[in-house]
Amino acid sequence: MSASDLSAREINHPATAPGENLNLEIVGDGAFTTADMTLSVGPAHPATHGVLRVVLEMDGERVKSAHPVIGYMHRGFEKLAEHRDFRQNMALVNRHDWLSGMTNEMGLALTVERMLEMEVPERAQWIRMLCAEYNRILNHLLFVGSYGLELGAITPMFYATRERERIQYLLESATGGRLHYTYNQPGGVKIDLPKGFLQQSVELVPDLRKRIQDLEDLLLGNEIFIARTRGVGPLPPEVALSYGVSGPTLQATGIPEDVRVTEPYLKYDQVEVPVPVGENGDSWDRFYCLLNRMKASLHIIEQVHDHIPSGPVNVKLPKMVKAPEGSTYVRVENPLGSLGYWLESDGGRTPWRLKMRTASFSNVQMLPYLLEGTLIPDAISVLGSVFFVVGDVDR
Amino acid sequence: MSDVLARREQALTPDETAELIAATVGDAAVLGTTVEYGTFTLHVASEHFAEVARACRDERVLAYDFFDCLFGIDAREEGFDVVAILYSTSTGNRVALRTRCPGGREAPTCPSLTEIYRGANWHERECWDMFGIEFPDHPGLEPRIFTIETFEGWPLRKDFPLASRVVKPWPGVKEPAELDEDGNVIERQPQLGDAPGPYELDKAMAEQAKLANPQAAVDPATAEGEEVEDALGTDAEQAPDSGAVLAGDAEQTQEQHEDVKSEAREKAEEKRKAAAEARARKAAERAAEGADDTGVAEAAGGAVEPGEDQFPEEATAEAHPEGDESWGNDSDAPPVGGDSDAEPTGDESDGEERS
Repeated sequence: MSASDLSAREINHPATAPGENLNLEIVGDGAFTTADMTLSVGPAHPATHGVLRVVLEMDGERVKSAHPVIGYMHRGFEKLAEHRDFRQNMALVNRHDWLSGMTNEMGLALTVERMLEMEVPERAQWIRMLCAEYNRILNHLLFVGSYGLELGAITPMFYATRERERIQYLLESATGGRLHYTYNQPGGVKIDLPKGFLQQSVELVPDLRKRIQDLEDLLLGNEIFIARTRGVGPLPPEVALSYGVSGPTLQATGIPEDVRVTEPYLKYDQVEVPVPVGENGDSWDRFYCLLNRMKASLHIIEQVHDHIPSGPVNVKLPKMVKAPEGSTYVRVENPLGSLGYWLESDGGRTPWRLKMRTASFSNVQMLPYLLEGTLIPDAISVLGSVFFVVGDVDR
Repeated sequence: MSDVLARREQALTPDETAELIAATVGDAAVLGTTVEYGTFTLHVASEHFAEVARACRDERVLAYDFFDCLFGIDAREEGFDVVAILYSTSTGNRVALRTRCPGGREAPTCPSLTEIYRGANWHERECWDMFGIEFPDHPGLEPRIFTIETFEGWPLRKDFPLASRVVKPWPGVKEPAELDEDGNVIERQPQLGDAPGPYELDKAMAEQAKLANPQAAVDPATAEGEEVEDALGTDAEQAPDSGAVLAGDAEQTQEQHEDVKSEAREKAEEKRKAAAEARARKAAERAAEGADDTGVAEAAGGAVEPGEDQFPEEATAEAHPEGDESWGNDSDAPPVGGDSDAEPTGDESDGEERS
């Protein structure tokens, strides 16, 4: 399929109210013809993780075309960011993807630090890595649990919630927050880890590894799970790249692309970062990559335990943090994919432009490609396996 | 992964990339390169924007296969910039193609990349929604991707005001744009059209509440006259240790109660000074215009005779002057300077009665 074919397919983008163009035709006299039907999934639907609306053109049980309708959660973060200084923006960016607050604020902190050419203390960098990896596991655990839920397995959600609680407890002891941490700041992290944090962390890792193995045993080898996901929604790698798909969805297509490896930031060049890859890019592969990214994170956390030095955790900031004139683009590996911040500064105390390149936006854009031609139950399987957060799509 | 790192050795430098693109597309296409803060930006002529992107994708040594993002930037008077960021998974290079949209601020346009990268579709729709930049070859910019269909204006342009700041100013003094070099607040006089602050809103709400429930507003006013009469007699002297100490009794109070705190003492001192000032002012006013006396009498509910208005002045204990203005019995009070001092009297004695 050429790119032009695809563009033509995306022109028809209905923006009507649900049921407005419900095109049902009642045919009498024994003649058996079916009319195409427009099915609006969402904006409030359990299968969509938030307020994503997908308008499906249906031919019987089969999806003829799908049109994601986004913007229900648009909060204008890029405009708001232009009215806040860099420290205030930390509280803003950990909200566009509310499951990955630590990674987001770390990304902005790295962006500002690069423009200020600021030296960040060693210990702060390792702490950032540690917290970011825990945040990644938190994020992935939720998706593992909810994906099982969508396919009819209730137990994994309970297991995942239990482990999430333990990690949240740990992160809360250091940052004070369970979801919106606001722990990073330009030049380091706000305060040092509390006493006993590392000890608890060391004890937690083997437990988590065991629990993640439980989840894997529950789902990956499950006959029903395999039947629902194997071969469903295959994504070719070149299509994924052309759409800018990243994260586990891209790794499932067989491309070992991970910002932590290809453009190392913090101290990721000093640790071993395993990158799981799939083969077919189907729902099973995406889920497999998600699970194995958690194991990779645990592996990184263990290495952080070995490396973390003592010392200061932040630098003394001037009263007003002002980025010099210019622009820069920094990518970090968000749990859902590649997250980028383009920061354009005019030398003032607020950004002139802060573009948030979020992983979910590109991933959701690819959905019509995957959903076309699938059956309704498979559409749920596909929607759940392209991991996204709607707040991250709409910003 | 190893072959990626191996190919990275052969990745082109920014200058080589610019040369290669200039050779492929034409010298006119490349306007310059900048590398700042580790970000390689290739400035491209607008009419060659799509061709350059195609060359970036198709040239084997460049191989920018990953479409990262595309967005607009407000470039002040000169219009708008469009930046497309491309990444190569094989060489690990990244480039930001930047172009200035022709058409100025009125009708900015930019060539579409949807034919080259599928991912450009939504990014260009977002760019149009936020900046109003037209992409003529785009398969369908409408409907607006983020805002509602009936939305007017281009939100991310700098001349589009942030609505939440217009409705209500930044709470506190932390508006980052209003601080000077050292982080101190720049005092700014309210401009015409500025939104009312929280205090103004409170007053407006008080007005509304009064209109909605006139009974509550009338009651204290009628009670005032009686209370003032009481206060004139023995009441004020019997309760000298309450919050609203009469200024004239302040010293006596201190003597009677050894345990009065120093704060209260200072307050009493202040009150006495204020009362003395007010007395002097009032005397001057009375000397100037004798007609004012009737106003005082009216203000105190007709109960205070001209000779006795010394007491209301003394009782001007300004415990909460703002509250008195908005919530007090000022419904029938003339808002003339010295006379409004008579008003809190009723309130103070009122408070004593209740306590």
